Amino acid sequence: MPIQEKENISTAVLTCETGGLPPGSLQIKNVSKAFPNVQALNNVSLDIKAGEILAFVGENGAGKSTLLKIINGDYQLDSGELILDGQPVKFANPYEAHAAGIRVIYQEPEIIPGVDVAENIWVGELPKKFGFIDRQKMNQVVKDNLEEYGFASVVPAHLMGDQLSAAQRQLVEIMRALKSDVKVLALDEPTSSLSDEEVDRLFTLVRKLRDNGIAIIYVSHRINEILKLCDRVAILRDGELITIRPASELSEMEIVHLMVGRELSDVFVRNRVSSGKEMLRVENLHSRWHKDISFHIKTGEVVGFAGLVGAGRTELAKVLFGEYQKNRGKIFLDGEEITVRNSNDAITKGIGFSPEDRKREGLILIRSVLENVSMVIIKKLSRFGFVNRTKERLQAVKFVDRLDVRTPSLEQEVGKLSGGNQQKVVLARWLAAQPKLLILDEPTRGIDVGAKAEIYKLIDQLANSGLAIMFISSELPEILGLSDRIYVMQNGHITGELSGEEATEEKILKLAMAEDLSDTKIAEPRINETEPSE
Amino acid sequence: MTTDVKMFSSEHGKSRKNFISRFFDFIGTDNLSLMIALFLLILFVTVFSSWVGLSGGNRFFTWQNLMNSLAQAIVIVGLLALGETVVALAGAMDISVGSIASCGSVVSTSVLVGTGAIGSLGIFPQNSTFWAIVAGVLIGMIAGFINGFIVTKLHVNATVATLGTMAAFAGAAFLLAPDGKPIGVVTQQSFTWLAQGRLWQDSAIPAMNGSKWTGIPVLTVILVVVAIIMHVLMRYTTFGRNVYAIGGNATAARLAGINITSMRIRMFMISGAISGLAGVLLASRTTSGNPINGQGLEMQAITAVYLGGASTNGGKGTIFGTIMAVLIVGVLNNGMNLLGFNTFVQKVALGMLLVAAVAISQYRIIQSEKARKKVEK
Repeated sequence: MPIQEKENISTAVLTCETGGLPPGSLQIKNVSKAFPNVQALNNVSLDIKAGEILAFVGENGAGKSTLLKIINGDYQLDSGELILDGQPVKFANPYEAHAAGIRVIYQEPEIIPGVDVAENIWVGELPKKFGFIDRQKMNQVVKDNLEEYGFASVVPAHLMGDQLSAAQRQLVEIMRALKSDVKVLALDEPTSSLSDEEVDRLFTLVRKLRDNGIAIIYVSHRINEILKLCDRVAILRDGELITIRPASELSEMEIVHLMVGRELSDVFVRNRVSSGKEMLRVENLHSRWHKDISFHIKTGEVVGFAGLVGAGRTELAKVLFGEYQKNRGKIFLDGEEITVRNSNDAITKGIGFSPEDRKREGLILIRSVLENVSMVIIKKLSRFGFVNRTKERLQAVKFVDRLDVRTPSLEQEVGKLSGGNQQKVVLARWLAAQPKLLILDEPTRGIDVGAKAEIYKLIDQLANSGLAIMFISSELPEILGLSDRIYVMQNGHITGELSGEEATEEKILKLAMAEDLSDTKIAEPRINETEPSE
Repeated sequence: MTTDVKMFSSEHGKSRKNFISRFFDFIGTDNLSLMIALFLLILFVTVFSSWVGLSGGNRFFTWQNLMNSLAQAIVIVGLLALGETVVALAGAMDISVGSIASCGSVVSTSVLVGTGAIGSLGIFPQNSTFWAIVAGVLIGMIAGFINGFIVTKLHVNATVATLGTMAAFAGAAFLLAPDGKPIGVVTQQSFTWLAQGRLWQDSAIPAMNGSKWTGIPVLTVILVVVAIIMHVLMRYTTFGRNVYAIGGNATAARLAGINITSMRIRMFMISGAISGLAGVLLASRTTSGNPINGQGLEMQAITAVYLGGASTNGGKGTIFGTIMAVLIVGVLNNGMNLLGFNTFVQKVALGMLLVAAVAISQYRIIQSEKARKKVEK
């Protein structure tokens, strides 16, 4: 079915090219972009007409952000072209895109904390008079603009950058864009941190801008909002454009179905026998990011954690691993209540954690496979501080073999291995440590399909050998294919628990994107996040 | 697949390599280029210099020059560089080592003769070379602890923190000396023996270019012993492993359970202790505990560390490389002395060498990043 639809689109695009688009429209023609091991965009063609609101929807990794970044000049396309106003354009960086009239407003706008709203809006192009900043003009223009769009009461021009709420930051960023002559305006998840009232205000603004003839791209996970606001919907999946249709022809279920689209292939193995006793139990955990989280994982069980980016899953893993602090709640491991002060503590108590970003948080890229594998167990392999190098090699070889890490030697720098093999090195490290609970955060991110299948097989084997596995992933097929049970998180809550049998992608997505179930909202979960010092 | 696995195990479980390849594994390719650089430098000093009309190069290969000038000249900078290497491998920089050496000089001599702020306390017995050394090393360790505390607990960038303590320790050295004046120790013969003594004087080693064998300086032996200890520490202990891990990626190291705070404090203490020892030897060599003894030495030490292949980001480098670089700096200075360049020219050359060393280090980082990216594609 998807193939048929794709043919429809290409003919549709052809007619668009011949039929004239209103001035100020942006055409995207046959755009492709590849990253190491991933084809992020594959021959995508669509056009954004001046005076319409076009939605981009898709799962995490479908290619929406990549497309936005290409439009904004953050990324260079591998092939294809962008046509603005009938002229082919090329942007080497975001400044060139701004100059051409394209503005992308990301989820977390860059706001300078120490200056006021007016200056934030004018930043980079401060009006000058005799070489000094023309404050009067600056304030007047900002005030006029805010009044014109009805936001004068919402964003007082004299507020300082660090006094602004998430919604106000968003508006400042939009005002920045409007100050210059903008033709195409893209909004990336603009409502994720807004209250209902603020969302309504934003919608009014966006509609007004559309009526003024601006082409608007609207990226969101909230499908009901999209149906309410947008004129057309473009659905992306695995870097390809699946379909582009008027919003009036689509229902919420249909969109979810098109986003998900694929059948589960047989890359997922499940040889494991039933699960055993309870290994991890979390009761009413509260933290800066979480509200009332309760769940459990048994030995021999793979428990999936699904949710959108920013739902608080990685933060949950880091709370369990002692990187972040919990405020309240209890954690039981193997029947005993534990408090985990830091990662060393977590490791001693039997928790292993393979982080989401293996290059930044997982591996010492410039050191050898051997050193990376033996890092956690190095103390056990030592006497009086001296490493028993024979034992170390034997251990490393054992796990490197077991995971089939393909490396020319144990001395090879880890950074020179492929992504899949790097991931296996991280896993080898944790297997060597023999934990009771293993937390895997996006273990297959950025690795090729073959390596993914191997990792899936390994996860199954590990569970079979009696490990309790907490499996965080943003890829629904692998969550469904591997998990015995699935918890779905949204905005710091667990919004649902599904058994492996009853779970479907539609059910998970519904839970992950559900409107807030409780009135209490965790504000700005990812803004101003400070990591503990190293 | 099973056959693959077996092949892999036999290949890596027990390596049966021949002597030459094991030798190169030990040295490493980076260090090989340093050896070549040293060789070329010596060749220039001894042979090429005469072609461009400079004289004096023929005096390089004499026991008098090698053992009296070169072997002694490299010791102090060599020791400081060894301590500095540990800090650099963890991705930080300690520029207070010269000032710590000054403190070590003053404290050890003040304990020895019982004057000054610390010597008059009477904690350590007077006239004992052993306790003088202990006091010098101890004050270095304390200074290192202060550095580590500022970096880890007050979260000050290591370079800035040690820039501050460089000034503070330099001042402290004067405060610790009686009225800020140098402490003379000419009469303390067992103490001055540290710098002036010779070992294996009676060995039947033939003369070289007409200059007789007069033994190896005790100083040089101390450097060699400390270098071996540091080599073992960095290569064969968990401490060494953790230093490399922190320098390679501090976040990953922390998530692998390494206590970064305690590691950082310990490595600054090691750097401080060795600097303190260097200060003791400086006092012995100059026969005086002079508060200005260590001034400016950090510059040469840092040059040697980066020239020796330590990455400016940390995580890469070896003790062996640092020692090779110390030799290069030593031969450069020594050769320029022999060839009759004055000290100002030497300073310019040393400064340029530091910049060149860091440029080479950066070049290596860029190259290895490129290689990594290639593999990914």
